[in-house]
Amino acid sequence: MSTFELLGMGFQNAFALWALLTIITGLLLGVVAGALPGVSFVNAMAMALPFTYSMAPTQAMLFLGAIYVGGVFGGSISAIIINVPGTPASLPACWDGYPMTQRGEVRRALAVAIVASAIGGLTSALVLSFAAAPFATFALRFSQPEFFAATVLGLISVIAISKDRPIVSLVSLFLGILIGTVGVDPQYGVARFTFGVPAMQSGINFVVVMIGLFAVSEVIDLIATNRDLRPSEAANARGKVSFRDFWDVRGAIARGSGIGSILGVIPGAGATPGAVIAYGVEKQVSREGDKFGTGIMAGLAAPEAAKNATTGSAMVPLLTLGIPGSAATAIMLAAMMLHGVNPGPLLFLNDPTMVYTIFAAMIIANILMIFAGIGVAQFFSTLMKTPPAVLGAFIILLSIIGAYGVRNNIFDVYVCLFFGLVGWVMKRVGFPTAPLVLGVILGPLAERYFMTSLANYNQDWTVFFTRPISGTILALAAVFAIWSLWPILRARYRSVVLLLAGRPGS
Amino acid sequence: MNRIGRMTLGNVLIAGAFVMTGAATAQTYPDRPIELIVTFGPGGGADVMGRQMAQILEGELGVSIPVTNVGGASGNAGLTRLRTSPADGYTMGTLISLTVASWASGIGDNAPDDFRIIGIVQSTPSFLFVAADSPFETAEQLLDHARANPGELTVATSGYGTQDDVALIIMADQGFDMVNVPFSAPGERYAAPLGGHTDVIYEEPGDVGQFIDSGEYRSLMIFAEDRHPEFPDVPTAGEMGLDMVYLNTFRTLAVPAATPEDVVARLEEAVIAAAASEQWQAFCAQTYTCLETLTGEAAQAEIRIFYEAIAAQLED
Repeated sequence: MSTFELLGMGFQNAFALWALLTIITGLLLGVVAGALPGVSFVNAMAMALPFTYSMAPTQAMLFLGAIYVGGVFGGSISAIIINVPGTPASLPACWDGYPMTQRGEVRRALAVAIVASAIGGLTSALVLSFAAAPFATFALRFSQPEFFAATVLGLISVIAISKDRPIVSLVSLFLGILIGTVGVDPQYGVARFTFGVPAMQSGINFVVVMIGLFAVSEVIDLIATNRDLRPSEAANARGKVSFRDFWDVRGAIARGSGIGSILGVIPGAGATPGAVIAYGVEKQVSREGDKFGTGIMAGLAAPEAAKNATTGSAMVPLLTLGIPGSAATAIMLAAMMLHGVNPGPLLFLNDPTMVYTIFAAMIIANILMIFAGIGVAQFFSTLMKTPPAVLGAFIILLSIIGAYGVRNNIFDVYVCLFFGLVGWVMKRVGFPTAPLVLGVILGPLAERYFMTSLANYNQDWTVFFTRPISGTILALAAVFAIWSLWPILRARYRSVVLLLAGRPGS
Repeated sequence: MNRIGRMTLGNVLIAGAFVMTGAATAQTYPDRPIELIVTFGPGGGADVMGRQMAQILEGELGVSIPVTNVGGASGNAGLTRLRTSPADGYTMGTLISLTVASWASGIGDNAPDDFRIIGIVQSTPSFLFVAADSPFETAEQLLDHARANPGELTVATSGYGTQDDVALIIMADQGFDMVNVPFSAPGERYAAPLGGHTDVIYEEPGDVGQFIDSGEYRSLMIFAEDRHPEFPDVPTAGEMGLDMVYLNTFRTLAVPAATPEDVVARLEEAVIAAAASEQWQAFCAQTYTCLETLTGEAAQAEIRIFYEAIAAQLED
């Protein structure tokens, strides 16, 4: 049977009543979980896993797949409305989405985010359906040095993200990497920077840091400045959504979808690096790149498209090779194994119906996500109409629950509140917080890939440059860095000194 | 009316107080959810075992058993959390061979006596596998190459200071020197031989069943006294002339050492019943890990023996 026939059969199965209901339930669960800071879609999938035991294997996969698709988008709702990324991958949505909300364009921001996410997700669902096999072979060639190089690219993109002070951003990034080293190291099991506190051995969780830096600090600022978050009537008028808005960012959506689809295939890359790299690339490519961070739609659309574009392609290595590239796909693998289904090449031969039903469901889920997204976003939008004091209390409550929920650990709540204070101080003195969070997320990954690479290649550090894929990615990272820093490098020595002092040169 | 209302409230409060004091005794244990700490990330062998057990035990114990993944440091991050949790039977954890091995090489700050093993629920020997396109068709070819080219072949393992590491050290001592490449993420480890990133993988068969079934993995050698009934053609390390200490991969459920006896007894009873269930039997058959569930002092002794065997090897 041809791919089209198989996919047709898949659609037939996925449009059955029980299958559609499963997808819709999963989507709603995912969007809500994603939108709540601290409850990531990975948590939601892990919690949903026991419910899938009683389902047929295909239904279980549809359920988990829908939670995955909805959850990856859901994080952006809270990122755009209250500047708190519901999931790490929605971090870039804060940078241009929240400024739009501050201007009163919350509806426009949400509409762009939902459409961009849906198109990104749809693109990668189609990649999954038609190009799974060649992509899987490509992904297998990624060894630890390639993972390391991809992580470095993600770290470097911080320079691109920083508006005008790359040096300050780098300081923030390295601080984040330092915080990421706290705890028992993954390779040799040595405790680092724990200061004898047992709770510190488990490390500082990046979700907790993120909630503190973005959510708690925002509330402190709200109280300190006594400003009103409610958009004025006049501002709301500018929030009208038109088709023009989507057409204007078509390039950004296309680039984001492409970057996300490719990065998603690589085990270990996933939604967060995908979104961050897409933002960095878009900033370089876009004509409005220098205005990114002030509420530019292209800066919102690109990472939104990219992060959802990782959902379909992340399932490529899972289904074709049986290799889970992320926590989300690992849970799907567990669900399949518990049902006695072994993913891998044999699955395509033994049970093509199941495989193509999953493909079809991913396509349907991304289209239905537009409606699920609008529904949940409507509910969250009403939050905006509440007085700042009530909203602040709500955010603090959500943050504490979120921080505790990550690992059910009260210590994390203290860490979260501490970083809330740190975040507020950083905000006041104009020290960027986003690079710090990226450092906490990507630093430990980079370390693990680096150490395993060295062990695998005879402690020879040149492998990072001599292996073709790894070398290409690192070269790309270098070009990226030089391109972003070019204005500074070109400037006279005096301005560089001024920049180092934290004041941009003339 | 008002007075009745107040009396009812008083009764509720008194009843509540009885429930509170009763919570600590075995008659009512368990009367609230039991947290199961899986000491590794989602998707690995410990996670699948933990979630499977949690689901069956929910039926046996009548309370919900939420699973929390606390990965890191060969499982020690999660175990430290378990050890520092109240020893009241409301926090359980997975304690697996890999973690016990890590203690012997000084990783983490946990020791065998910090925990009370409820039951060893899975145990399985490990194999050396190569990818289907590997030039090594037999264990002999692999070992000959390793002897002739010390330090050339790479083996994907779960980490340093594990039973994987010990097996490779013992082999190196006998002239078969291969490089240990630790992959803490299971997915990346399974992919390593398939993508040609390492030559060999040291793994238990249950975790890589899909690759064995599809023929993408070739089984070369088993680390056990006897051949495996499911893999009758795969020679043992002993047959290949190696003098090994056989260290099975095992997975247990454990609670902090100070947990009251009656609570432990209740949990043991539930775990034995769970292991006998149809669902568990189907699961362990699929993962090649069926065995008679070991509990009590016997289980505790097994852990101690494993720990000492590894410590002895690493000291040499």
